[in-house]
Order: sequence, then structure tokens, then C-alpha cells
Amino acid sequence: MSTKSRFTRTLAVLAGASLALTACGGGTDSPQAEQKQEGGTLTYWSMWKEGEPQQKVIAGAIADFEKETGATVKVQWQGRSNVQKLVPALNTNNVPDLVDGPYAKLAPVLGDTGQALPLTDAYAAEVDGKKVSELIPAKYVKVSNIKDADGKPWMLPYSLSSDGIWYDAAKHPELESAPPASWDDFIKVLDTFKAEGKTPLAADGDIAGYNSMWFTTALVRTDGTGAFAKVAADKSGAAWDAPSVLAAAKKVEQIAQGGYLVKGYNASKWPAQQQVWANGGAELLLNGSWIPTETSTYASEGFKFSSFPFPPVAGQPKTVRADFVGWAIPKKAENPKLAQKLATFMLGKKYQDAYGTDAKVLPIRTDAATSPEIASVKKALDSADGVYLQNDGVTAPGYVEKILWPINDELFLGKIKADEFVAKMKAAQIGYWKDNS
Amino acid sequence: MSTITGRRNAVTAPASAKKPKPGQGGSSIDRQRRKLLVPFVGPAFIFYTVLFIIPAIGAGWISLHVWAGSGPMKFVGLQNYVKVFKDDLFLKSFGNTLLLLFVVGAAIFILAFAMTLVLRDMAGKKIVRNVIFFPHLINALVFGVLAGFIFNPGGMVNTLLKPFGVTEPPAWLAQENIFPLIMATLVATTTGYFTTILMAGVDRIPPYFYEDCALAGATAFQRLRYVILPLTWDVFGTCAVLWTISSIKIFEIIWVFGGSSGAGIPPTQSWTTAVYTYVTAFSGQSTPAYGAATASAIISLALVSVLVVLLRRAMRRDAVEF
Repeated sequence: MSTKSRFTRTLAVLAGASLALTACGGGTDSPQAEQKQEGGTLTYWSMWKEGEPQQKVIAGAIADFEKETGATVKVQWQGRSNVQKLVPALNTNNVPDLVDGPYAKLAPVLGDTGQALPLTDAYAAEVDGKKVSELIPAKYVKVSNIKDADGKPWMLPYSLSSDGIWYDAAKHPELESAPPASWDDFIKVLDTFKAEGKTPLAADGDIAGYNSMWFTTALVRTDGTGAFAKVAADKSGAAWDAPSVLAAAKKVEQIAQGGYLVKGYNASKWPAQQQVWANGGAELLLNGSWIPTETSTYASEGFKFSSFPFPPVAGQPKTVRADFVGWAIPKKAENPKLAQKLATFMLGKKYQDAYGTDAKVLPIRTDAATSPEIASVKKALDSADGVYLQNDGVTAPGYVEKILWPINDELFLGKIKADEFVAKMKAAQIGYWKDNS
Repeated sequence: MSTITGRRNAVTAPASAKKPKPGQGGSSIDRQRRKLLVPFVGPAFIFYTVLFIIPAIGAGWISLHVWAGSGPMKFVGLQNYVKVFKDDLFLKSFGNTLLLLFVVGAAIFILAFAMTLVLRDMAGKKIVRNVIFFPHLINALVFGVLAGFIFNPGGMVNTLLKPFGVTEPPAWLAQENIFPLIMATLVATTTGYFTTILMAGVDRIPPYFYEDCALAGATAFQRLRYVILPLTWDVFGTCAVLWTISSIKIFEIIWVFGGSSGAGIPPTQSWTTAVYTYVTAFSGQSTPAYGAATASAIISLALVSVLVVLLRRAMRRDAVEF
């Protein structure tokens, strides 16, 4: 045998092996195609991890769906990084049929890039005798731009996340009957706690996203929904000179330098301080609607979760934060019809109720039951005139992580004053837009 | 002139006569070797190309675009590189990477050499070697989580300090202290690993060199300078390259140490280029910037390549045979 023929043989073996390997990735073999015509198979990448209360509700709904339709749903409980994993997958032919995640994560990678399938079928479908489009309150859709370039919605929300200032209603019934009606009222409450020798506020200062809630919410309160987004989008940076912006920063400064925050908030690791709060070591905590689920395992006995919205400003519409958590279908999905069917199926009242009562989060349907822990947030949402998004909807690449969070951390952790914060943000933002436009 | 050409001819003529023509001739072992080259090297070469070289070229291509990871790509030339180099945050991250590489690296090797010398003559050195190697086996995530238990305001250290009257303990986990803590942790976990490798090199040195030293009345330092260092130089060089490559990729310990057990991202004070790259592409808080992220990754790759080449050059010595 000559060297040449041996070489060709080796090449042939390698070629065969690599073909076999690529075949593994495709997964479009004929037996599967046959199956599709009967029940169908679909892949679902979920943001929940096995064992989480939300996962249990969704898993139950999927089991019912499989029983009812004969379809097979291959779920991967990937956890919060599912959307990050989706991005590289979108460039291959191996995309999931259904993904879920918060609006703030899905919009930049699916919605804004035109990679999401318009969910026309899902919105036209009926669940429990009502059209899906009617189940999603219009005031939420107004701020979350879940419509694609043709005006068709690409996301089907199933739950909301919101925020508020949390407290133990068993200890402070007075806050439940008369929550602070203004910023000054709120400061008065803090001062009273301080005078009584209590720690008024807890905060996990290492989570920049929690720290920045103070500034963005304060600004949205005085200037309305979209106010921070407008400031952030100003290429000249001049928007930072507005007196209302400085006023919002002054409020944060007041909190950071007023001695209200739990000792060591600037040098701890999450969830240390929310644990302190749940154990009665501090009275109030500004945080998301997920707090009852997150802290219930270590909350002190008899803890009654309740919350009031970030102090309102007189004369301004009553607004509450509301971020969608929902499903989307990539355009490349192999079985989009079935995926839409599953998504609408999971919007059924039974599962929405379970979402509210078992998982203790906010279901999207207003007629769904909720647990007493989040009744206060639900009430605030239902009675709100309008809603706003996390970070007021700012998604410009890197702005939040590289500009807002580091500088806001300095303000909230007490290293700089409000006017320095405004000056630093202005300078950083001018530089940012110079490099990014 | 003529003598030179004549000499050259004289030198080259016998050499070319000896040299076998490619593809044929030579000893049968040589021929067999050549035949085996393709089947043996081929698969590795193909895998290497498919898994490393092509993705690296792909990354280079992506770095010339503005791209959200999917959807349309916009060609911008070298703009991403300019942008990344102008970003103060990148320069700071880059500085941190260099701190890890040089400061932590120096600490590790000084300690590793010191330990090697102490351990060589110590009783029970095998047990000690295992003990100091042990931290390297533990996942960095564990240290990240432990940092919370140990250094939180209500954590172990402060509780232990209380009986001593320390009521105002330092803010251990404050943003500016996290990076020094990470550096200390890295020294503690990596020293054992390199000590083990260096010790293997030192153990190879035949005992009669030490006997010679003793007879000549050499001090401990002289023994290190004239015997141990020259005879372990190649091992040390390999260790230095290993550390250079791994230090530039350090990521997970920073990710978990920076107070972000899944709920946020580390403070910018402790970012390295690896973290910068990750946040730029995958933060999940804003539109991914794959172009800028790959540009920063390519800069890191270039940095590793240059440093490794320089190191190899600086460390080059004739191997001492013994």
C-alpha cells in the first residue's frame, strides 16, 4: 500500500467522523419529522431552575399540556442565563422553540434585533373564553415595546415584576394604613425609627441594580415615566443640568449620608443585608416584588410581608414599576405553532392562580389570585395610572453597567455628593455618546 | 573571495550529498516516520484548526463590526479597538490584569521558591506538600461564597474581633478592598500548585551537588544561586508561562467575589479584561456589544502571545544536563 492511499484513507475516516459529529447537532432526522405530525416536539429553554416555585408551576402546566395534546415538550431548566445562551444559538440552526425571560433581557437580543417571531396566533387565541390580547392590561403594553417593526407583538407576558419599600406589617401596622404620602413623610418615618434606636433601612450595597433604583425612581417620580431614559439619551449631556435631576440625586444623598442605612451596607455580600432586614434588624427595604419568595425561608417568625410604593410626588400621576416576564419564540424555531399553543395554554387561569399563590409572584392576568405577601404590590399596580420599567427602559449597550452603576454606587455608598454625581454622570455620558453614536 | 566561496562549496557539497531527497531515501525509520506524520498529526491539526484557529479568526472578523450577537452586523473597521482603548474602564481592567500577572505572580513564585527550599529538608514533606496543594483543588466559587461568611459585617472575622474591643472593624468587603482580597486569595490558592511543580524539579537534582556545596562551605543562598536555580531553570520557565496564560484568563473568582452570587455584576474596581469582555457581551442588562467584546478579547490574546514570547526569550538558557 502506498503512502498516498493510506493518506486518502485517513482523510476519508476523518471526513466520516466529522460528518457523524455534525449530524449529532442537527437533530432533524426523519423519525422526528414524522412524530411532529402527530403530537409534535418542542424545545423550551426556561429561565427557572429545577426546584424553584415558578419552575414547579410551569412544569405542572407542561405536564397537563402534554397529556392534553400528546405533544412532547423538552424543557431545559437553564436558569437566569438562558437568554445569554440564546444569543450564540440564534446563529445556528439549533434554536429553542420557546424561551422565557424578563422584557429587559429579551428585548435587546430578540425584539430589537428582529429575531423574534410575531405571536399573532397566540394573541388571537382564546383562553378560558377570553381573547389573549384582552388578558394583558393595556397600561403595561404602553411602556414595554413588545411590538416589532410591523407593529405585531413578539412577547407574551405571563408575570410582572415590580418593586416597593418592604416592611413587616405585623410590626408596623401604621405603615399599612397610612403609607408615606411624600418624600418628606418618608424621611419623617425614617427619622422616627432612628429616634427609637432602630435601623430604618437595609440595603445590599453590592448589588448596583438595587442601588440605582433610588435615583431612577426618584427622577421618574418628579418628571414622569421615561424621564431618566430621556436624560440618558441626551448626547450633549446637558439634560444632567436640570434642577430636578440634581434634586433626585440629593434625595439619594440624603439616604446615603443621613445615617439611615444599616451599618456595613457598603461592605457586604448579598443577601446578607436583606437577611438582616427579614430578621428584624432593619425596618424598611427598597426591593423587588420577588422579596417575599427570596426571603421567606429566613424571615423571622410571624413576619408579614407588605410594601408601599416609593414615595409619590403631589400632582404627578401615580406610577409603579412593572416589568414583563414572558415568553418569546425565535424566528428560526422549528415548531412555532405548537410553541404558541403551549404559551397560551400556560396562560390559563389555573396556572396563573398557581403563579400568584404558590410561586408568590405577580401573574399578568388581573383576575388571577395572588398570595397575601404581594397583595400590597398587586393593589398598587391595579390602582396605578401608569407604569415604568427597570432602569426606566434604558438598554443602550453598556450604559447601565459601565456608566450608571459605577457612578451611582459612589453616590449611594456615600463616597460622593449629589452635585459630584451629576457632574461625573454628565462627563461620562458625553464620552459615552461620543464613542457610541 | 575565492577562498570563501571555495570553503562554502566544500562545506555544502558533502552536506547535500548526505541529505536525502524528500519523499524517498533515508533510513527506513525515517521513511516510516514520514508516513506516520499525517495520520498522527492530522487529526490533532484538524481539531485544533476547527476548535481554535477558525473561532479565533471568526472573533477577529466580529471585532470589526457592531453586532448585538444576532441580527444585522454593521462593519465599522477598527473602531471597536479605538473605542475599547479609549474606555477608562477597559484601561483599569487591563491594569488589574497586569497586577494579577506581575504582582500576584511575583508573590507566588517568591513564596513557592521559599517553600521549596524549606520543604526539601523537612520531615513529612509529602504530607505538607499535599496540604499546600489542597486549596488549588477547590473551586474558586467556594472562596467567593466563603468570603461572604468570613468578611460580611456580621461575619466571622468581625465576630472574632469583637471580644478584643474592635467595635469599628474595617469595611472588608467595600468595593475598593475586594480586589486586594482577590489577589490575596489567588496567592493562597496558587502557591501550592507551583510549589509542587518546582519541588518536582528540585527533587531531580542529584544529592551529590548538595554534598559538594557542604564540602565547599556554601551558604544556603549560594546553594540556591549556583545549584538549585540553574538546575530548575527550565521548570521555572514553564511555570512562568503557565501562570501568564492562566492569570490573563482569571474570571470566575472575580465574578463570585465581587458580591454577586447571581444577583448582579462585580464592582468595576475589581474588573479584569476577562470580566470586561464578559460584561460587554453578556451582561443581560443592555444590548450586547459583541464587536467591542471580541475586540477586548483579541487584545487579551495579543497580550498573552507577546508576553509568552518575551518570557520564553528572557528565560532562555542552555539546558544544563545532569
